[in-house]
Amino acid sequence: MKVGFIGLGAMGRPMALHLQRAGHDLHVWARRPERAAGLPATLCATPAELGHRCEVVFTIITSNADVETVALGPDGLSDGMAPGSVLIDCSTIAPDVARKIAAKLGERGIHMLDAPVSGGAQGAIDATLAIMAGGDAVVLERVRPLLECLGQRIVHIGPNGAGQVAKACNQMIMVAAIEAAAEALRLAAASGVDCAKVKQALAGGSAASRVLDVMGERMVRRDFAAGIEARLHHKDFGLVLEAARKSGVPVPLTATVAQQLNALMAQGWGRDDTASLLRVLELT
Amino acid sequence: MKIGFIGLGIMGRPMALNLLKGCHQVTVWARRAESMQPLLDAGAKGAGSPTEAAQGNELVISMVADAPDVAEVMRGAAQGAAPGLVAVDMSTIAPAAARQIGVDLAATGVDFMDAPVSGGEVGAIAGTLSIMAGGSEAAFARAKPAFECMGKNIVHVGACGAGQVAKAANQIVTGMGVLAVAEAFAFAAKNGVDRSKVREALLGGFAYSRILENHGQRMLDRNFKPGFKSWMHEKDLNIVMQTAHELGLCLPGSAATAQMFNAMVGSGLGEEDSIAVLKLLERLSGQE
Repeated sequence: MKVGFIGLGAMGRPMALHLQRAGHDLHVWARRPERAAGLPATLCATPAELGHRCEVVFTIITSNADVETVALGPDGLSDGMAPGSVLIDCSTIAPDVARKIAAKLGERGIHMLDAPVSGGAQGAIDATLAIMAGGDAVVLERVRPLLECLGQRIVHIGPNGAGQVAKACNQMIMVAAIEAAAEALRLAAASGVDCAKVKQALAGGSAASRVLDVMGERMVRRDFAAGIEARLHHKDFGLVLEAARKSGVPVPLTATVAQQLNALMAQGWGRDDTASLLRVLELT
Repeated sequence: MKIGFIGLGIMGRPMALNLLKGCHQVTVWARRAESMQPLLDAGAKGAGSPTEAAQGNELVISMVADAPDVAEVMRGAAQGAAPGLVAVDMSTIAPAAARQIGVDLAATGVDFMDAPVSGGEVGAIAGTLSIMAGGSEAAFARAKPAFECMGKNIVHVGACGAGQVAKAANQIVTGMGVLAVAEAFAFAAKNGVDRSKVREALLGGFAYSRILENHGQRMLDRNFKPGFKSWMHEKDLNIVMQTAHELGLCLPGSAATAQMFNAMVGSGLGEEDSIAVLKLLERLSGQE
């Protein structure tokens, strides 16, 4: 199948390669064409051209505005994609923006799924991403074989936007857990206790978690190189708090964690790993 | 002075009336024509658009809901501007939005000033608002006679956007202040102590504040009529939190407070005064 891919960053590049290796005819567009260097893919001049050539297009880019521009802007995907073709947006954006883009594309007969992912760069490389899909179930079944190239756990959450709601929930739980791990290890260190031993002990009990495993390990080793760049979690927390506000749902813990992320950004650690929340605690 | 006034809601109407009382010539415009009638009855001229409200005037003032509204009416006003027009927005919007409007208007030769207010409807009617102005010295000098009809404590805080920064800071202090008084009262009550006595005792010490005095009394009276509606306080705290997010600024107390106001709006207390945060605390701790 002719498959388009936009967003060749730490997540996107390995995902695109998986699709190509599965035998699909890969087409890419990149704002900076040098990002596509070395990829076994056809480089397109605009998103519209890519859309015109492909039956299914993946996007995984950073912000609400970026996704909107690529999908709906001048020379955007909607100018090229044929009725019946499918846009699968794996970016993390606001649920209401995902719904809006889906509605606009729908006017032209183009299908869209919001399909944000969790699992980080390692999950993208290992093709073990968790994929949270929002949109028409029939469309999801059509593209499921493509998604299975990227991850095993593919859940249809509900209509458009529902995938992004699930991703917001994922981010709330994960980053709060990172903060909890950082606070626990900070307390252990301040009490003169060996952090590595504490982490090892906790791994066998009720506090065991993937976050404690992966991020806790980074904290113990004081390896703050990303991983997942903290600025992306900071961005996601902006989306979560805005969604909570629109729903009138209080999220006191999320709001507090967001302040720790603000402090992290102020220290200039946005391109480091979110394990840097430990370093924020060490400022005081 | 010849002044155009745009936006005649709860705040805008009494502010425009005070300009008329101060013997200024006022031209008004509001989205809903019926809002204009009380001002026309009091001697104001009516305009058909923001552009008309600016035409032939030295000063144009807006008092509307949100940043997109301010941008829209100010764009209109700029089209009617005589050279040297000073445009003053007294709404509460994000500092970044005010700065952007200032830049856009400067390109059309209009000198823009943000001048949000504190003091609520009562202050607007009495002409005792606090006015926090951001913009050029020249714009402040031009607008000052108008400000003096509407407010008492008038401070030129700094450059464009500085007024909104001061207003956001004001909302941090008042938001946390109201929550602090409500928590102190909940604490007293749960300990079986008379909160009115606690208030009386605290008024003499370092915990004295106007919020403890006024808002505290209204909490004791369980008078939750607005005043200042909690959904508006929530909106203003959202400006604070979004600005903090953009700047990379850690504001844990404001964040916790903003979530309490978020909960108020979500649980149907949005139309009540922000002191209704007391009800929320009582609900959470089973004190109803």
